[in-house]
Amino acid sequence: MDSGILSLLDVSFSYPGSGQVVDGLTFHFGEGEFACLLGANGSGKSTILKLSCGILTPENGIVKLWNKPLNEYRGRDKAKLLSYMPQNLHLIAPFRVREVVEMGLYPYDIPPLLTVDDAIGMVGLSDKKEVAIGNLSGGERRRAFIAMTLVQGAGILLMDEPLANLDIRYQVEIIKLLRDIKGVTTAMALHDINLAFRFDAVVLIQKGRILAKGTPEEVITEELLQEAFDVKLKLMRHGPQTFISYQ
Amino acid sequence: MKRRMALLVLITGSVFGICLFAGPHGINPFNMNVLDRVILFEVRLPRVLAGALVGIALGASGAVLQGVLRNPLADPYILGLSSGASLAAAGGLILGIALPATPLLAFAGAAITGGLVGILSFRRGGMLPERMLLAGIGLGFLLSALLMVLMSLASNEGLRRAILWMFGDLANAEWSLIPYGFVFIAAGLLLASARAKALNSLMLGDDLSHSLGFSPHRERLVLFVAVCLMTSASVSLGGMIGFIGLLMPHIMRFFVGADNKVLVPSSALAGGVVLMLSDLAGRTVISPAELPSGVITTLVGAPYFLYLLRRRDILHG
Repeated sequence: MDSGILSLLDVSFSYPGSGQVVDGLTFHFGEGEFACLLGANGSGKSTILKLSCGILTPENGIVKLWNKPLNEYRGRDKAKLLSYMPQNLHLIAPFRVREVVEMGLYPYDIPPLLTVDDAIGMVGLSDKKEVAIGNLSGGERRRAFIAMTLVQGAGILLMDEPLANLDIRYQVEIIKLLRDIKGVTTAMALHDINLAFRFDAVVLIQKGRILAKGTPEEVITEELLQEAFDVKLKLMRHGPQTFISYQ
Repeated sequence: MKRRMALLVLITGSVFGICLFAGPHGINPFNMNVLDRVILFEVRLPRVLAGALVGIALGASGAVLQGVLRNPLADPYILGLSSGASLAAAGGLILGIALPATPLLAFAGAAITGGLVGILSFRRGGMLPERMLLAGIGLGFLLSALLMVLMSLASNEGLRRAILWMFGDLANAEWSLIPYGFVFIAAGLLLASARAKALNSLMLGDDLSHSLGFSPHRERLVLFVAVCLMTSASVSLGGMIGFIGLLMPHIMRFFVGADNKVLVPSSALAGGVVLMLSDLAGRTVISPAELPSGVITTLVGAPYFLYLLRRRDILHG
């Protein structure tokens, strides 16, 4: 994790009227890493992702993308390297699925290799290409936006709870889909601890600081999870798989 | 899509021609006498041009604002620009300032109100859509109340002229105003069309807009300026014309989709067509008297909007 292509260096941030959400955080996203951010509600996962992509500006410290300060990039240039998918997606947008996915091409004059049709097919929405986004279910809408992110073709994908509202089948398929894209660094905030075992790296966050980082086996321990989530839980092993049981 | 746009341009051109020659005094383009020429060039042409320009401005502004504010009920008057224009213009009429100064007063009133909305909605580095809406509505109420005060103190003649102007009427259109209106409306339309991709991205929310490489605050400001230019110029040319800005984007979405690269120019053209036809109806139906075109657009537009609301999913396309 030390050779970061995206690095937060001694970053601090607070929202008006609230305490320090992130305080002196130093963190690196490693090249090609497939990582998830775990933490309780309000732990700072979303804030860290927004600081990492430049939506929020740190009060102190600096964010660097490929060793260059993030704020020195032009918007379009940054969009070719780094994309972000927010947790809340606006519902009142009268676009069709195809129109939304096509927006992923906006940063480009010459379109990248992945076509709009291919991306829509990859998320299983080929038969709903011309359906208005507002008429889709929450999960389908989420998949449409994931297709837009895929078309955007950035080397770093930051996603805030992209698996929320998805059926288990699509949760697993989207994880597999993102994992199989070669050379792409993915970091997503996650709620379901059981899904964290499907990632290369897990970052456990508590009160805006890194509580632990490493492989799922290193980080997902009863002690660390109890500290991060302030709840008693038990790890159960069944063959090669590990499950969480809440008490 | 190109074929549909070409068809719309063709319809606009045809309606422009029809409105020039049709009316209570029909003109045969192949056999014009001196009176016909005077009516055509001194009365009809500026009036139809003004109708086309005002309709274009309102249609485009409506499409842009519904995107910027992420609100399908937004129209160019929701930001209080029309109230500012009305207060200034009606104030001028009531106080007996010469009629030719009215469009200038209306433009100034709308532009100043636009500036105030911008200042009031500015927070954390930019203008926020919710605050723009609230600032516009609040200012609109305040300016309307001031207008009521002014009207209650006015003489009968001043009051009559102010009310007629506020209905939205193209009867006073004159050549001298057309070039100014054209410049402001063309500038606003070009600005809005050039930022159509950014407008699409804003409709998905600020975070996704940022992720796609845009600066949401800056784009919103540019689009707001475009709307202020177009709306201010349209109010100064034709007074308050209801429902075109609200309705045209909704109707055109069914024909050309929601992509603002196509929706903004097509709503503009459709607005021009509807206002030219409304004006033709207004000067023909009860001839020799006239109905202000704003009354016609509202009488036709309001029931049609309710019909659309009942028959289609306006919110989700």
